[in-house]
Amino acid sequence: MKVLTPEQSMMTCVRCGACRNVCPTLNITGREADGPRGRVLMARSMLTGEIPVNQEIKDQLDRCLLCSACVDACPMDVQIPDIVMLAKEQIAAATEAGTYHQPGVKLNTTHNDIKKTPAPLRSVRDFMFEKVLSDQKNLNQVGNLLWFYQKSGLQSLTRSLGILKFFPEQMRQMERIMPEILPPSKRKPHMEFTPRANRKKEPKGRVAFFQGCIMDVMFRRTNDNSIKLLSKTGFDVVTPKDQGCCGALHHHSGKKDKTIELAKANIKAFEKAGVDYIITNAGGCGAALVEYVDLFRDDPAWLERAKVFSSKIRDISEIVHEKGELPETSGKGERVTYQPSCHLQYVMKVKDAPVKLVKTIPNTEYMELPDKKYCCGSAGIYNILQPDLANKILDQKMEKVKQTDSAVLITSNPGCYLQMKLGLHREGMEAEIETKHVVDYLVESIERAEKQGH
Amino acid sequence: MNETIERAPLDEKVISRLREIFGVERLLTSQTDMMTYSYDASFETQLNPQKPQVAVIALSTHEVSECVKLANEYKVPLYPRGAATGQTGGAVSTKGGIMLDLSRMNRILEIDHQNMQAIIEPGVIQNDLNLALKPYGLQFPPDPGSANMCTIGGMVSNNSSGLRAVKYGVTRHYVLGMEVVLPTGDVIVTGGAKSKALKSVSGYDLAHLMIGSEGTLGIVTRLRLKLLPLPVTRGIVLCSFERLESAGEAVNAVFSSGLQPSAIEIMDFNCIKAVNMMKPELNLPVDNEAVLVFEVDGAKEEVTSQVNRLKKVVEKYATHLKFSDEPNECEKLWQARKLVGAAVGLLKPGGFRVYAGEDICVPISRLPETLREIHNIAEKYGIVCGIYGHVGDGNMHTGPVVNSSNEVEMENVQKMVEEIHQLAIRMEGTTTAEHGVGIVRAKYMDVEHGPAMEVMRAIKRTLDPNNILNPGKMALPN
Repeated sequence: MKVLTPEQSMMTCVRCGACRNVCPTLNITGREADGPRGRVLMARSMLTGEIPVNQEIKDQLDRCLLCSACVDACPMDVQIPDIVMLAKEQIAAATEAGTYHQPGVKLNTTHNDIKKTPAPLRSVRDFMFEKVLSDQKNLNQVGNLLWFYQKSGLQSLTRSLGILKFFPEQMRQMERIMPEILPPSKRKPHMEFTPRANRKKEPKGRVAFFQGCIMDVMFRRTNDNSIKLLSKTGFDVVTPKDQGCCGALHHHSGKKDKTIELAKANIKAFEKAGVDYIITNAGGCGAALVEYVDLFRDDPAWLERAKVFSSKIRDISEIVHEKGELPETSGKGERVTYQPSCHLQYVMKVKDAPVKLVKTIPNTEYMELPDKKYCCGSAGIYNILQPDLANKILDQKMEKVKQTDSAVLITSNPGCYLQMKLGLHREGMEAEIETKHVVDYLVESIERAEKQGH
Repeated sequence: MNETIERAPLDEKVISRLREIFGVERLLTSQTDMMTYSYDASFETQLNPQKPQVAVIALSTHEVSECVKLANEYKVPLYPRGAATGQTGGAVSTKGGIMLDLSRMNRILEIDHQNMQAIIEPGVIQNDLNLALKPYGLQFPPDPGSANMCTIGGMVSNNSSGLRAVKYGVTRHYVLGMEVVLPTGDVIVTGGAKSKALKSVSGYDLAHLMIGSEGTLGIVTRLRLKLLPLPVTRGIVLCSFERLESAGEAVNAVFSSGLQPSAIEIMDFNCIKAVNMMKPELNLPVDNEAVLVFEVDGAKEEVTSQVNRLKKVVEKYATHLKFSDEPNECEKLWQARKLVGAAVGLLKPGGFRVYAGEDICVPISRLPETLREIHNIAEKYGIVCGIYGHVGDGNMHTGPVVNSSNEVEMENVQKMVEEIHQLAIRMEGTTTAEHGVGIVRAKYMDVEHGPAMEVMRAIKRTLDPNNILNPGKMALPN
């Protein structure tokens, strides 16, 4: 658990600037207000009531990717994303209540007109969070629709009809890079128990697999491969049926009650599994699960259960590297590079496990991605909300990817995966560079070696 | 606290000329932006943040020169700024005016490994340069604690150094030449305009007049830096002492045995306590007054032999001793020193560490005496404080920890800082060894320099007759 609450930690910032050299937005603009130190000051001034809520600060804070690179660099453990979130919640509350304009406070009153999210958009958003993401059955229905959209010719129809031009440019591009959805027949529930592949050996441990919500619909193949990889590296794998969404997206949108509800459901589901570790393959989800403890600060009964739960969370690359036994692998003689997931490297603190695993593959050459410390700009729906900055971040990332001259770009989180595909699409390099989740890359390498062995 | 001084707005002509130079995106005028340009890492600017009237982000020497010409023409104060990681208010406005952000001028222009030098823009981060030099087996040695975030332009302007100064010296020793925009906007290159020589005694050494002038005489826009070979490996000896005096004796004994450690760091009993709180596994002995961390560097076999010799010399004085010449183990031991700056904050629950009175330097022989005196002063004001520093050159960093909501404490810590500075001068030392003067130590300049201060003021008047560049700092004329 974090030692300090966001309110406490914002007071401990001594403005040393240690966060300056890791911030992706500051790296693009050089403007202090686009860096973590500036953000803490702005949020803090607003939260302590020194200055009124205003549009200028809202716009500035909205530019933060919440990637947590700054927290990792901070010697005082100032929780910048949490502080920014807290300020954004306050802005949202003030906007709803119409109290953002404090009369009598002399500062900048030229921007006191905070724009409300239009009502229809709000209800769509609420519906997504309340009904779709929180309920795997409903999400699966959406998956079926998407699959139908792709397979029925509707996708090519909408593309040729040009209906998509009514959507913002960002969404049009996203539509193009959407991964191929598996048909419903291949998206049946996972086996509740998958034993280790080699029964002659002692198990490396009993683990539970966290399947995620979107991950299990849009990236079903990666999820199947994750269970396979765990089994092949010596683990007995349980996939609890009644698990649900991690709640990260709800949390980031300030829906704390729903987040807590989802957290409790997951804690219960995984307690029943009786495992040593709980494994995720998405840095974003893993980070949210690790932070469950912070949700129950004031709830002693659940706090203890959350502590046990969070202490068991491991990323799949981490557990395979540390406790697993990778069978024989074989590459294709290609060069690969790796863009880390921010939540994986900065919140879960898994910095090089994926790279260490990839480096063990014979006939694969690993090349480090320059400036891999910087977020790719995906950050949830950031690229839809802040297209201009997100594109600049992405273009710079692609520049670095080109420098490595790699054939495969490895990722460790679905958001990063989509963003990298988007970047390569924009550059017209999809044909030359393939994007792959590290799990898929490892399983393919294992299966290649198995074939070669026969 | 947080008083806003009302100022007449900048002449609209100045703004529109700035827009011509920098374009709309790199000209910032909003109150939010001004707020974020109102501080550096100093305690002073936390208490009294000072907003500029406009901020610009420069990308080239030409832009800097045009901006300075404009400021000089309209007599508007101009404040050059790197990453604002300084602890003196040096990069903060005192009279409104223009904030000139140089952090985006951060290209490494040339690494000339054959001639052991690099040419860079001033916004390059120390650590970024060293990462780029590593493949060549070279290094830029000055290593302030803020190496991960401070710009080299800022290091040059403050003549910064760090823990390895005891062996490698300070920033000054690594500047061969520079391009400078003078307060009139004219651009000069010192250290030989076209030279790539590693030594030169031709003419007044203007580069060295600029180094440490804190942006009051000119703005550095390009630097030619001297590089050294990167040591292959290093070794650490960490030892504890019952009494401060025996730590002092141990340092003397090491020097007289002919050893040249690359760093000698001291931590007092409060720091020991704090580090133990942060990293219990380091398990430093708590009943001791001081811990010393020695670092040696060089080739593998050299380091092993130095570690062994060091061990033998200090053994006589120390109560506990740990050592290693193995990289991973060294990293663990070195953590004790690396973490101390942040760890002292733990000494007082809910408190935060204040950077004030943090940079005094006294003769090595008077260190134990000075340390005891600082603790007496802290006790008098009821302030918790950990002291650590570079014992090899007598440079002490005091870390008072206060509670920001406790007004008595906030007042007392400022009185305490004043006494620490006076103490440094009394001990034949200085109020600042590597952080600079800026706003916070301007009042000691006359005491420290006497009549020499008039020469400094005369130089300032000659180069900057309109007092445009970074006014209100270093007790130069207003």
